Amino acid sequence: MTITVPRRRWPSATAWVVTAVVVVVHVLAWQATEFSPAALVAGWEGMADFLSESLPPDLSVLGKSLEAAVITLYIGLLGTTFSIPFALVLALLASRATTSAVWGRQAARAVLSFLRSVPDVVFALIFVTAVGLGPFAGVLALVFHNTGVMGKLWAEAMDESDRGPREALRVAGASGPQIALHAVLPTVLPSLAGLLLYRLDVNVRSSLVLGLVGAGGIGFLINQSIKLFRFDEMVTHILVVLVLVVVVDQASAFVRKRLGA
Amino acid sequence: MLAVSGLRKSFGGRTVLDGFDLRVEAGEFVALLGPNGSGKSTALRCAAGLETPDGGSVEVRGSAAMVFQKIHLVGRRTALDNVCSGALGRLPLHRSLFYPQDVREEAVRCLDRVGLADRALERCARLSGGQQQRVAIARALCQRANVILADEPVSALDPQAAVQVMELLVDLAAEGMAVVAVLHQPELAQRYAHRIVEMRTAVAV
Ligand SMILES: Nc1ncnc2c1ncn2[C@@H]1O[C@H](COP(=O)(O)OP(=O)(O)OP(=O)(O)O)[C@@H](O)[C@H]1O
Ligand SMILES: [Mg+2]
Repeated sequence: MTITVPRRRWPSATAWVVTAVVVVVHVLAWQATEFSPAALVAGWEGMADFLSESLPPDLSVLGKSLEAAVITLYIGLLGTTFSIPFALVLALLASRATTSAVWGRQAARAVLSFLRSVPDVVFALIFVTAVGLGPFAGVLALVFHNTGVMGKLWAEAMDESDRGPREALRVAGASGPQIALHAVLPTVLPSLAGLLLYRLDVNVRSSLVLGLVGAGGIGFLINQSIKLFRFDEMVTHILVVLVLVVVVDQASAFVRKRLGA
Repeated sequence: MLAVSGLRKSFGGRTVLDGFDLRVEAGEFVALLGPNGSGKSTALRCAAGLETPDGGSVEVRGSAAMVFQKIHLVGRRTALDNVCSGALGRLPLHRSLFYPQDVREEAVRCLDRVGLADRALERCARLSGGQQQRVAIARALCQRANVILADEPVSALDPQAAVQVMELLVDLAAEGMAVVAVLHQPELAQRYAHRIVEMRTAVAV
């Protein structure tokens, strides 16, 4: 018996074209972003000044910093919590498991995509003009953006739920909302809770950035200390941020693990 | 109780049912036998309203419940909650957020009928396969179904649990229900069914 060994295949024409396109796009991106290692090397003195000014950190602002960190946490918390009802309604409307009308699903998906595609920072800038500088604008921004992201994640979790129990209830004459309530939601609840905690973690980190554009919290303090060239204060704030992020991340991961989601 | 006549159904040009007839009277237990792919599940799903037939008619006096090989309970909820969900069809939405007391009482009686009243508050995922299938039958009872359409109700069960479920179905028929069960074991069909209907690929007898 003879075994024919397949000949080694050379990359196809498509592979060459794809490679060429990828390379060209990177060259264009390099130029457009003014990517320049030389500028980085030339500016090293500035960086060194910056570092020498920022060390040692000014710990006298630690109290203020911690207070602001708590505000940042609160912004992330309320932004997540208040998006729950909206995300839930839109997810139920957007999921195949709970909405059979195609137009209804598409409308809900369009709303979710819109909310998701507008970055929370942009929402924050809009709400700062409406309700003024401060944490409330940050909460509103997170509610809007997180509704879009969490609604989509939740709808996907519902899509993946087992269709068997849904069919059993349909045969029993249950209506769409009843099926959602008694077959879909009980099944997916642990996944929804896991996704919620994941989003809380992300939103606390986002609320930092929102602070930079005026939505209160520790991000606002960082922005101020940069403007006042108080880099030693800034380092204190950043250390506090580091602790906050690690603590929230670990807590969220711990609870998610307990949920098995 | 159940009258299916001239049922036709095809999926993407493949004819699965071509004039399938089935009558099941109250008090009768009919076994549906046939090779894989002969359209047994499709026939039951059409009768239950889960598929729309291309032609033919389905008549059910009262209401029909379906029992599945994969059982299809909500594993995270209690047996009681799962049985209560059979009653959803007669509950308005505002009363179905939490099951009303009268429904819970009826559900406990249905669980008692299948011998599982003492497991009412246990999560279904913790029950054995045979117990879960009996909970699913209790759900059909709580639906006050007159017709039970069972698609391979015992295929995933060990012989002992299978016998329990078969006897339960026979008893329910004796109490006046119309029961159709798809079976893959001819011995079970011969032992329990009043009548056996054989299906062949795209030709119903
Ligand atoms: N939703 C569907 N879409 C496409 N084809 C389907 C669908 N449902 C069933 N079929 C096809 O119809 C045929 C009959 O399927 P059906 O499940 O009714 O057979 P069955 O007799 O129940 O078989 P089994 O003994 O394996 O359960 C199969 O060839 C199957 O692939
Ligand atoms: Mg089948």
